[in-house]
Amino acid sequence: MTTSIQETDTRITATLSGELDTAAAQETEKALMPLLNSQGKEIYIDCTSLEYISSSGLRVLLSILKQAKSVGSRVVLKNVNEVIRDVLDLTGFVNIFEFE
Amino acid sequence: MNSTEKSRLSRVWIIVIAAIMVEALSIVQAERMRNMILDQLNSRSHLVLASRANEIDHALDLVETTMQENIWEVRRSLAHPDSVFQAIVYLIDDNPHVLGGCLAFIPDYYPSKGRLFEPYGQKTNGAILVRQIEGPDHDYTLNEAFQQAIRAPGPMWSEPYRYGPDSLSMTTYYYPVKDEQGRVVAACGLDLDLSWLGDTLNTQQPFPSSFGLLLTREGKLVTGPSEDRIPAAQVQEALDILNGTLPQSANPAIDIKTLSMNRAPYWQVVQVYQTSEALAPLHRMRIYQMFFILLGLAILAFMINRYAHNENKLHRASEEQARLGGELAVARNIQQQMLPETFPPFVYGFLEPAREVGGDLYDFIIRDGKFFFCIGDVSGKGVPSAMLMSVAHSLFRMVSQKEESPSHILQALNRQICQGNDSNMFLTFFVGCLDLYSGVLNFGNAGHDKPFVLSDGKIELLQTVPNLPLGVFPDTHFEEQNCTLAPGTILFMYTDGLTEAKNTDQKEFTREGVQKVLHEFLAADPEAPLETLVTSMNDAAHRFAGDAPQSDDLTMLALRFAPGELLREEIHLTNDESETTRLGTFVKDFFGKLELDNKTASGMRLALEEAVVNVIKYAYPAGEKGDILVQADSNREEVRFTIVDSGMPFDPTAVLEADTTLDAHNRPIGGLGILLSRKLTDSISYSRRNEQNILTLTKSIL
Repeated sequence: MTTSIQETDTRITATLSGELDTAAAQETEKALMPLLNSQGKEIYIDCTSLEYISSSGLRVLLSILKQAKSVGSRVVLKNVNEVIRDVLDLTGFVNIFEFE
Repeated sequence: MNSTEKSRLSRVWIIVIAAIMVEALSIVQAERMRNMILDQLNSRSHLVLASRANEIDHALDLVETTMQENIWEVRRSLAHPDSVFQAIVYLIDDNPHVLGGCLAFIPDYYPSKGRLFEPYGQKTNGAILVRQIEGPDHDYTLNEAFQQAIRAPGPMWSEPYRYGPDSLSMTTYYYPVKDEQGRVVAACGLDLDLSWLGDTLNTQQPFPSSFGLLLTREGKLVTGPSEDRIPAAQVQEALDILNGTLPQSANPAIDIKTLSMNRAPYWQVVQVYQTSEALAPLHRMRIYQMFFILLGLAILAFMINRYAHNENKLHRASEEQARLGGELAVARNIQQQMLPETFPPFVYGFLEPAREVGGDLYDFIIRDGKFFFCIGDVSGKGVPSAMLMSVAHSLFRMVSQKEESPSHILQALNRQICQGNDSNMFLTFFVGCLDLYSGVLNFGNAGHDKPFVLSDGKIELLQTVPNLPLGVFPDTHFEEQNCTLAPGTILFMYTDGLTEAKNTDQKEFTREGVQKVLHEFLAADPEAPLETLVTSMNDAAHRFAGDAPQSDDLTMLALRFAPGELLREEIHLTNDESETTRLGTFVKDFFGKLELDNKTASGMRLALEEAVVNVIKYAYPAGEKGDILVQADSNREEVRFTIVDSGMPFDPTAVLEADTTLDAHNRPIGGLGILLSRKLTDSISYSRRNEQNILTLTKSIL
């Protein structure tokens, strides 16, 4: 599981690749800490290379979303694959995230 | 109008018609008999009258003969007045009915005797006394009869009259006596007592109130019954009717027959009957007849009623029978439908109730890669045992959905069945749980026949602990046993309807009979479908029983442990979240061998991971190290994961799912794991056995 963050004036883009399982969740959460301090910038999470996500991973995404919402920012998930999409469907996360 | 009233009405009609017919018959018969009786009375009275007339005729004849035989003596004595006396003696001595006799001369015939001369002879106390009775008080010439006799051309009978101190009824036969010049000079009379006639006429009367009369030609009563037998008024009434002074209609019950003598004095003999008396026997008969008719009708009514009642009862009974039959057919259907309809290839069951409904059952369910099965036999048969059987069947279905241990399943069933089991019924029950991957068979036997185990060409009985049947004591503990079946092993279960199938000699099929068929099956083809085994067993039992009726329900259940191509792997984890990486690798590896597509594989992996993470997080107290065993099984049709830990009892299936409809703000962080596990598998079940939590997830991969 690898995580990278790119930041512009208006947007923070996090790229997740690999499997975000329970074991990887804690580490990923740490890596994504900058996203919790977005300061109103749009948050883009690139899921193109994300192959797997567990509920712990979903929790990480949910914390980011809650933080962003509290400062009036938006969170967009990009290029979610079918497997991840299914999980988001099952959990109802499709309704609270934005997708591109 | 309902049918009962209708039939009651028709019954009443039957009785009424029968009554009318019998009564009509009786009336016709009575009428005929009445006519017969009256005819008979008629001809009989004719005979009686004729014979009475004859009798009188005879009496008169005798008097007339006496007169004729002795008149010459009288004529001869005319020459000497005093010899007349002797002639009279001769005359009256001859005939016992003759009371007396006289010779009344015309006036002045014998100058020496004065104007009148009438010697009269009378029988007194056996002697005959002849004296002269003429005189100033007795001028016989004034007597009408005398005058007639003198003038008559021949002898004549006087009108009857009464005479003497006893007022005897009598008549006198006058014979004109002529002198030599042919001049009638005297009338010779013979007094005939008629009082005896009254008795003669009234002896041997057929009825107490019938009587005979003798009347003159003019209808004057000569003699009749004595007054102490028939009241004078009754006699008078008959006379009045005869004389026409009283119409016959005044007393239609009176029947009068008359016969006139065909000679002088042409008297009439009369016979008077009371028709009612003649018909009295008929009336009596009619009364008896009526009584018997009524009695007969009453009996008929009673019998018809009874018959109708019975018919009704029979009808209702047959209706009830039909209704019960219909209900039993429905019950049978329900029972049959409770039985498994289709069989997986490794199992075959058969149930044949002895009656419409039975007390046997078998059932099975497959869940989590395990085959739960049971076979049972309720004591007794018919509806009561069928009801208990249905209860047991439903309970098994319900309990085996949740419970994994045969011992617990038996206990749960037993508790329920013991509740309110006032009829003290019980059932023998065998429950097994076969792990379709490992061949591990957990079983509990509540007093049921030991199943046969067919393995490796050998036939043995499964050695089960003798537990009590279900329904005896609510707190019975049922010991659970286990064994591992080698692939290809057949378990053959049955109820005693098989081993105790009787033939007409009351011999039983026995366990040996069963064993023989099992041997034949193994000898022929041990891998043949189980249906073949069950069918040939059934055929053998029926062949054995022959024409004997099936006495008990016959049930068989056979299963074969046929693991086929199984994939089984396992991994031991510690209770650390980082272990999910190893778990991921293990799962991917396993799915790789099954060549699963990525989507299914990811879903299954997620389900397993979430379940395992749950165990890691909650099974063991914080800081305590614990072991978690994950087994993965697949027969290429489904995948089963079994997670076993030795932590605290914890049923993740009981945890509330997260609400997936909440918005981001309200979403709690957590609770998604179990939701995902559940949604991504076909079934998830928890059990705790041997101090272990066992969580099973299964998913079809077809």
